[in-house]
Amino acid sequence: MAKVLFINPTVREEDVPRHVPYGIALLAAIAMKRGHLVQVYDENAWRRGEETIRAVLAADEWDTVALGGITTAYVSIRQIVRIAREVCPNATIMLGGGVLTSLPREMMTWLPEVDVGVIGEAFGTFPEILDRLDQGDRTWSTVNGTISRGPDGKLAMSPPRGLLHDLDNLPYPAWELFPLEEVYFPNSQVLFSEEGMLATRRLDINASYGCSLICRFCYHLGIAGDMRYVEDDKGEANVEFDRPGAYTRTIRYHSPEYVVKLARYAYDRFKVNFIGFLDENLMTMDQYSDRTWMRDICRLWKENGLAPSYLAQGGERGESWTGIHWSGTSHATLCTPEILKEMRSAGCSHLVYGYESFSPQVLKRLGKGSTPKTNIRSFFWTLEAGIRPIPNQMIGFPSEDFDSIRDSMAAWDKLGIVVKPFFSTPYPGSEWFTVNREWIERQYDGDLEKFVLDLGDATKITGVISQNFNAVELLGLREMMLMKDLKRIGEYEEIWRANHKIPPGQPSTLYTESEPPMLAVVNR
Amino acid sequence: MNELLKGNFQTKNQVTDSPAKEETLEDRFEREAKKRLGGSIAYVSKKKVMWDLKNEKK
Ligand code: B12
Ligand code: SF4
Repeated sequence: MAKVLFINPTVREEDVPRHVPYGIALLAAIAMKRGHLVQVYDENAWRRGEETIRAVLAADEWDTVALGGITTAYVSIRQIVRIAREVCPNATIMLGGGVLTSLPREMMTWLPEVDVGVIGEAFGTFPEILDRLDQGDRTWSTVNGTISRGPDGKLAMSPPRGLLHDLDNLPYPAWELFPLEEVYFPNSQVLFSEEGMLATRRLDINASYGCSLICRFCYHLGIAGDMRYVEDDKGEANVEFDRPGAYTRTIRYHSPEYVVKLARYAYDRFKVNFIGFLDENLMTMDQYSDRTWMRDICRLWKENGLAPSYLAQGGERGESWTGIHWSGTSHATLCTPEILKEMRSAGCSHLVYGYESFSPQVLKRLGKGSTPKTNIRSFFWTLEAGIRPIPNQMIGFPSEDFDSIRDSMAAWDKLGIVVKPFFSTPYPGSEWFTVNREWIERQYDGDLEKFVLDLGDATKITGVISQNFNAVELLGLREMMLMKDLKRIGEYEEIWRANHKIPPGQPSTLYTESEPPMLAVVNR
Repeated sequence: MNELLKGNFQTKNQVTDSPAKEETLEDRFEREAKKRLGGSIAYVSKKKVMWDLKNEKK
């Protein structure tokens, strides 16, 4: 049986570790179910650094060292694979997850230590690789869904791997292989609601895959039907994601029974009192299932004794509760007052809404299918249901202008929203990245890896895609928004108009849809 | 002692935990000060300073 070492790389170093990596936890469970020998070292949780990573790698003779994560884990992954190659010269180094999937050829070039990359969903590909290792066969080009190096050193992409449809056959995530008591439970708190703040034993569940919407900044990790294989001009295969006029999706969800049984298992075995749903958009699933999915989850949550006791019995919320409070991601247009009330009665405490902006023109171009009106409506529906809405905002959209900034500020004022907006960031795999790639590379001296290394939270500026504002202006404008300083924003608008020679009577914008975003500004 | 590796078998070598370095008072002060940066709070990050007075004319 194959000896597998999973290493979870560090992500969001500026914060404490809060999330067991769900994908790795599922893959570890799949491997164990098939009889393989599995160990997990969670560097993101322990953060012990190089010396410990070396000791872990030297703890046994591994058939494979397997890593994966989101794009911003790249810095840590780069460090770990270098050490892994040195300490384990004979192990197959495997990389998967969103980081590899969005840029498979680039990643394999930047990380020569990696032997095989798993593109997109790994539920089928990963166990097949382990079986090959067992048989002593390391020809990866015949395993679908991989990228590897041929004998000539050239990269070879095998045919795409289909998505798994019978999701309920997946084993439960191997949460027990992660430092729950030592690290994750002490970091359970989520400061988005009173119940989130009081959470002391939180785990996450991913109940569905995909989202029917096409927000230009969003990336679905190649596991939502969002990825297509295409041939470039040299006849080489590559992956493609959302681009103007080409959007594909496959919506999949676990049955309500699976979801609630899994929650009950987490409650009984790990004594959790809070669950964070990781789903991209719970409301897509609700709509897609003809409004039955969420309703049935809530019903079963109550029937299985998981709804917090005070909600079920009509008492007062104290500092603790029996049952499980939970949270997730909603959508302004797809939610309904009825389902929000159902969700509250089953213990939902807060819902993240990517409102992004309150400007009609920005929202129209975003692909979210929302308007300022649906944003405001859902905000009140959610509050009325007794759930806290988390109103995420962004600044620096391609068409952001002074008016759109003022529109958002006016809405914050009206709704009592206190927020520090994210900067619009073109993460690889998103349409913004695909459309603006050339411009982003130019901002990083033509070196895409520098951009990837720079990416982190969208709370800092990296690649700018706004046609009207540069990085300095966006930083300044965000500060002015936080200070509600409409006067200085107006004064700067006059300076900006003069700098850009905009004649009186013309709107304060350089935005044009006919040219590729940003390059338009360069060409001017 | 923390069990850093978790899995379904016993590895050949054990991995002992070298707990994260104890935070020094200097580190703690700089971390706390950074959080409150602004207004009258400013501080010198000692690690970034080059103590080079040799070339200075006395
Ligand atoms: C939990 C989470 C996080 C956690 C970190 C999780 C972790 N430990 O890796 C935290 C909170 C830190 C986080 C932060 C951010 N996130 Co986030 N996050 C998620 C979330 C909600 C769940 C991820 C998950 O578990 N999915 C379910 C599992 C099953 O999928 P998976 O992990 O990808 O695993 C599958 C495959 O990818 C693959 N795989 C994964 N690992 C491995 C390893 C090996 C060896 C192999 C073979 C395969 C493999 O196999 C699995 C099964 O198919 C997703 C949304 C979503 N629902 O996916 C967003 C998501 C991944 N995040 C996203 C974004 C944009 C961010 C932020 C940039 C947001 C922001 N504006 O600041 C920040 C980055 C912060 C920073 N400084 O790094 C994007 C995409 C990011 C990207 N380009 O990779 C997503 C998709 C949300 C979205 N739709 O926009 N995030
Ligand atoms: S609604 Fe959310 S998950 Fe769906 S495309 Fe938009 S940002 Fe992504």
